[in-house]
Amino acid sequence: MIRIANLRHRVIDVPDLAVDARHIAVIGPNGSGKTTLLSICSGIEEPRRGTVRLLGRPPSAVRIGWVGEFPDRTLLFSRVYDEIASPPRFRHRSCPETDEKVRAAAEVVGISHLLEAKVSALSGGEKALAALAAAGADDPEVLILDEADSHLDARTAARVQRAVQESAATHVLWCTQSMDLAASADYVLFMAGGMIRHHGTPEEVFSRLEDTCFYPTMWRICR
Amino acid sequence: MRVDIEDITLSRGRITLRGSGTFGEGIHLVSGPVGSGKSTFGLLLAEIIHPTGGSVQRHGISSTLLMLQFPEYHITCPTIAEEVISWGLDPDDLLVEADLAGRADDDPFHLSRGELKRLILACTVARNPDLLMLDEPFSSLDCAAKQRACRVIEGRREGITIIFSHERAILPQVDAIWEMEGGTLKALGSVPRAIPRWRHAPPYLTYALELGARPENIRLQDAREAVCRIRG
Repeated sequence: MIRIANLRHRVIDVPDLAVDARHIAVIGPNGSGKTTLLSICSGIEEPRRGTVRLLGRPPSAVRIGWVGEFPDRTLLFSRVYDEIASPPRFRHRSCPETDEKVRAAAEVVGISHLLEAKVSALSGGEKALAALAAAGADDPEVLILDEADSHLDARTAARVQRAVQESAATHVLWCTQSMDLAASADYVLFMAGGMIRHHGTPEEVFSRLEDTCFYPTMWRICR
Repeated sequence: MRVDIEDITLSRGRITLRGSGTFGEGIHLVSGPVGSGKSTFGLLLAEIIHPTGGSVQRHGISSTLLMLQFPEYHITCPTIAEEVISWGLDPDDLLVEADLAGRADDDPFHLSRGELKRLILACTVARNPDLLMLDEPFSSLDCAAKQRACRVIEGRREGITIIFSHERAILPQVDAIWEMEGGTLKALGSVPRAIPRWRHAPPYLTYALELGARPENIRLQDAREAVCRIRG
């Protein structure tokens, strides 16, 4: 369960929200507060006012895997292996256990062949995959992805989606500009001007967005 | 005006680029998976890097611009107005064009990613180069901003425009489609004939083709019109 109460922070204004779905897509125009909401939920930012509870706990007490909007800026280490190994190493896992987690996480997102590569030699999309592998390396309880798909082609985005579906995380909070992807989520939050304007199943939310470009292209052509 | 590529090869890191073909005047879309060499190919056409084999020959091209995937790498000045001036452009006109009027004295890094993309796209298009290359011009934009970017790109009446993109929902009208896979560039030819051969086509286009429709271009509205024609 994700519970938000009286949240006021920068552009964000969310009086009350409780979501019990697993795969939650956050959509809305650029500048509507999606990234800010996700960074509060991930514990990166403390809200000025109000509370956020994930699984009944504050974000700082939850094991969270986070992938930012600019993987270029958030990758810390120069070798892909070390980047993915950072969450288990920071949690003092043993070397054999870390190695096992790194190889499994790389395998899931399909970058096993890049483990020895330099992060600087990766393409934009491969950096997003490395960041995703690192986020999933230490069995997160909640996975938070901030437009991780915006640098990915269709096949890679589908692989990421599969990895996300298969992860053991209780909640996946995913912000995306692909409405066709958002249409496959369990729950959708549509944000505008810092507020959650619509929330509900994809069917409920997109029926209110039918006259806008936020309506999924596949629904537009099939229905 | 054209760019001829003859049997180029270039090894860069894990990728070996290969390809032949001619980019004539009009709008070209180069699609392909992540890491297939799209950005490297842009660097090559911009003559920032050079092939180890084969040749890239330009005919009648006197100016070239490449818009990078990450717009922050273009920034050289502390204010938005100075940034526009550094492109040799008038900030008053351009900021209206980019829908950023009133932001002249702001730090470019205080713009959102979408706003920054809009600024750099407006600058590159306003320079009106003979050869314009746009590396992922739609990534991280919302759908309204993507539609605006499409209109800006379609508004280029002359010269060669090459878009490197994996966008799957909002695309401009284009004249030709190319695909890159594993570093190899393949010309699919001109639109609409190239559309059925396009393996990286967006899902709505694939859906229309599977119904037996023949879209005239690659936009969602082209696919919808084609589907309407066969459904009557």
